[in-house]
Amino acid sequence: MEKIVLQGRGVIPGIVEGKALVCPRSITGWGGIDPETGIIKEHGHVHQGMCIKDTILLMPGSKGSNGWSCYFGAARVAKTAPKGWAFSRIDSSAGVASAVMQIPTVVDFPKEQDPCQIVKTGDLVRIDGEKGTLEILAR
Amino acid sequence: MLQLTKEEQEILAGKEGRLRQVALENIVRYAEVLGADKLCKVTKATVFCGSHNYLRTCKSEDFHEVFTKMNLARDERIVFDCVDKDCYAQSCVAASDQYDYEIFDQPKEDFDRNSLYLEEARKAGVIIAGSCSPYLMGWLPVKGEHFVTTESGMTILGNSLWGACCNADGIEAAFWSAICGRTPKWGYHLPENRYATHIVHVKAKLDSAMAWEILGKAMGERLPLTGCTPVLVGDFTGADFVKLKSFFTTLAVTTNCRMCHIVGITPEAPTLEAALMGHAPEGEFTLTEEDICGAYEGLCEKKEGSVQLVSLGCPHYDIHQIQEVAEYIAGKKVKEGVRFMVWTVYPLKAMADLNGYTRIIEEAGGTIQTSTCPVTIGDCFLKNYPGQVYDSLKQSDSVCSSGCAERVYYTDKYRCIDAAVSGEWKEEFRWKK
Repeated sequence: MEKIVLQGRGVIPGIVEGKALVCPRSITGWGGIDPETGIIKEHGHVHQGMCIKDTILLMPGSKGSNGWSCYFGAARVAKTAPKGWAFSRIDSSAGVASAVMQIPTVVDFPKEQDPCQIVKTGDLVRIDGEKGTLEILAR
Repeated sequence: MLQLTKEEQEILAGKEGRLRQVALENIVRYAEVLGADKLCKVTKATVFCGSHNYLRTCKSEDFHEVFTKMNLARDERIVFDCVDKDCYAQSCVAASDQYDYEIFDQPKEDFDRNSLYLEEARKAGVIIAGSCSPYLMGWLPVKGEHFVTTESGMTILGNSLWGACCNADGIEAAFWSAICGRTPKWGYHLPENRYATHIVHVKAKLDSAMAWEILGKAMGERLPLTGCTPVLVGDFTGADFVKLKSFFTTLAVTTNCRMCHIVGITPEAPTLEAALMGHAPEGEFTLTEEDICGAYEGLCEKKEGSVQLVSLGCPHYDIHQIQEVAEYIAGKKVKEGVRFMVWTVYPLKAMADLNGYTRIIEEAGGTIQTSTCPVTIGDCFLKNYPGQVYDSLKQSDSVCSSGCAERVYYTDKYRCIDAAVSGEWKEEFRWKK
C-alpha cells in the first residue's frame, strides 16, 4: 500500500494507533453520544450505534449546540473516549473539547489533505500530535 | 506563540489559588489548540449550573469532585469557591425548577441535588438566574465587550445584534472564563474575523416569529456545516426583538454559525459591503416563500392525535409574550388531562403575578414555570406525554431526537393554545405562512 501521511497542525502531543472512525458530518455533541458507553446516539447519523471508544475519531469540526464538548468530556471520565482525534479545521467547540480530552490531537489540514475525505472508517491509522501527522498504516 | 500578561503569568503560577490556576491552565490549553496568540478579558458569563443529566457520568456525591472532573477536566478535587471579580456571571437553565419537582415527575433526590449544586454556584459568586435568556434580567454585553455563554442562541444574538464578542466555547470553558476572567483572543473576539462569508437573499415576507424561526431552518439546509458567517439581504420591515431571538435560537441548532449579519438591522451590517469587509463571498443563495413553507413540512407531525403536553416559551418568554398568552386564553379551559406550561424567568413570573396574567393562565388550567425547560429536565418528564406541542423548533426538534414522545407538533403560540384547549391535534393547527 502506498504510504499516505496527512500533515496538519499538532496541538496535543502523543502518538497513538487505532481504527479510524470517520464522521464527515461530525457528531452532534449535546446528546449525540452516550458517554457511559461511547455509542453514537445521534438519530440518522451514518455511524449511529457504533462506539467511539479507543478509535481514532476524525471529524470536520464540531456541530450544533455550544454544549458540544461536555459529552466528550463525560466520555473521558467514563473511560469511553477515543484514543486520539483529528479535525479538518479547528473551531472553538472542538478546541474546548480537545483541551478537555487531552488525547493526541491534530487539526487544520490543507483542503487537499482533508482526513474526512481521504481516510475511511476501519483504516488503521497513526496520529502523532507532536509532528501533526495522520498516517494510514493499513486499509 | 501565546503571549501572557504579567497578571496572567501570576495566576498561572498559582499565586491566586489552585482554582484560578487550573481555570487559566485550561484556557491556555484551549488557546494553544486554536492557535491564538493572546487572551482577552471576559466581563460577562453565563454558566451551566445545576445537576444536569450528563454529570451523572461522574459517580460521586461530592459536588466539588464532580465539578472538578467534569468542568475542570482534572482528576483531583478543587473547591469551586469564586468567579473573577470583574466578571458578571449568572446561571443558565438548571436541571429542575427552583421550587417545583413533582409537576415534572422528578425524584426528590434529583431536585435536592440540583438545589445543592445551585447553592454551591451561588456561594462561588454566580448569580442564580436559571435562564437561556439572560438579557431578560439585564445581562447585556455591549458592542466590543467579550463574553462567554453556554447558550448557543445567546452567542449568535450577542455577536450579531449587539456587536459583542463571543465564540461557541461550551460548558467547561464558560466556567474557566468565569473563574479566571479570560478567553482566547480568537475567532469572533477579533474584529477582522467578523466578516460575512455567505450571502442569503431573502425573498419572503417575514411577518411573524414563526416565519423567522423557519427561515433559520431553511438556512441550515443550505449553509455549509462549519466555518460560515451568513449575511441576510432583503426587506426586514417589522423585525423586532422577539422575531430575532426566535431566529437566532433556531439558527444555533440548525447550523454551526455563531454570527449572522442582517443588512439594515445588525450594527456591523449597515450595508452588504460593510458586512463583507472587503472579502469575496464564499457562497450566495436565495430563499423564497416556498423554501420557508417547505422547511416547515418536516418539522411537525402530520397525523392527528391526542395532546397531553403543550409548552410555550423557548427561549424564555418576555412579559409581553406572557400578556399575549393570557389575553388569548382568558375565559378558555385547557382540556382535562393536558399539561399546559408557559416558561419564563423569576422576575417576569413576579411581574406576571402582579399583572394578573398568572391568575388568568392558572384559571385556564395552565401554569407559569421558571428556571429550566422540558428538554433540559429530560426523559423523566417527557416520557409521560405521548402527544406534545411546542411553539419552538429547538424544543420540538430535541424531543423528536430523544424519542420520548409518540407525536411532536410545532406551531405558533396561538395554535398551541388551541391544541391545549381542544386536547386534540387538528390539521387546522398547522402553521400557515
